[in-house]
Amino acid sequence: MQLPLLASTFLTVFLAELGDKTQLAIVTISGTSSRSGAVFAGSAAALVLASLLGAGAGGSLASVIPPNALQLAASVGFLVIGGRLLLLSVRREDDGGGDEDGSAAV
Amino acid sequence: MSDQPQAGQPQASQSPTGAPATTPTTPSETSAGSFGAVFLTSFTTVFLAELGDKTQLAALLLSAESGRPVVVFIGASLALISSSLVGVLLGRWLSRVLPPQQLERMAGILMIALGLWLGRQAAMTMLPPT
Repeated sequence: MQLPLLASTFLTVFLAELGDKTQLAIVTISGTSSRSGAVFAGSAAALVLASLLGAGAGGSLASVIPPNALQLAASVGFLVIGGRLLLLSVRREDDGGGDEDGSAAV
Repeated sequence: MSDQPQAGQPQASQSPTGAPATTPTTPSETSAGSFGAVFLTSFTTVFLAELGDKTQLAALLLSAESGRPVVVFIGASLALISSSLVGVLLGRWLSRVLPPQQLERMAGILMIALGLWLGRQAAMTMLPPT
């Protein structure tokens, strides 16, 4: 009785999440950090809390928190992290020692 | 159950501040902080990015449709944990394949592009449609 609902929820959310901006952010943070365990714990906790809010609110969340403000906050956070990473790579380049092979992935 | 990277990682070191990480493969200055700092960065970024996302809309729809929010919550949580595990593993693989400087530049460009796209989306929905 509950297994089909569980499976359909899992599949829907998993497929919707693959290649999403959230996962891209996780790939970015994990790739530039040496602590994959902390990244996994942090992102998993955030996602569980987000889905708890989603399932618990049951449709009223959008009226409580305006999604525009959240998107704006997320965009600012992304810009800050991206700027910091670019700054870091530029500083590393100034130090000298970057071997540039033209393997452009993704 | 083939690979459990976070279980194999000896994260319980709890090194004092200033002690280098056990694996000096990516000695980035900002990200190689303590467990708590990395945890907080990941948590904040992912939480902000995820709220109001289409996954949450799907969870909301399923939850309202079925009337069983607990089952929906468990299924959604398992899916999100799996997808974040995929993301972490992909990032770890990329950090082994690419030099750290190149990876940081690409990641920075990607994050800024995502930020601009998100900001544009928010601005467009804030503006009246007419």
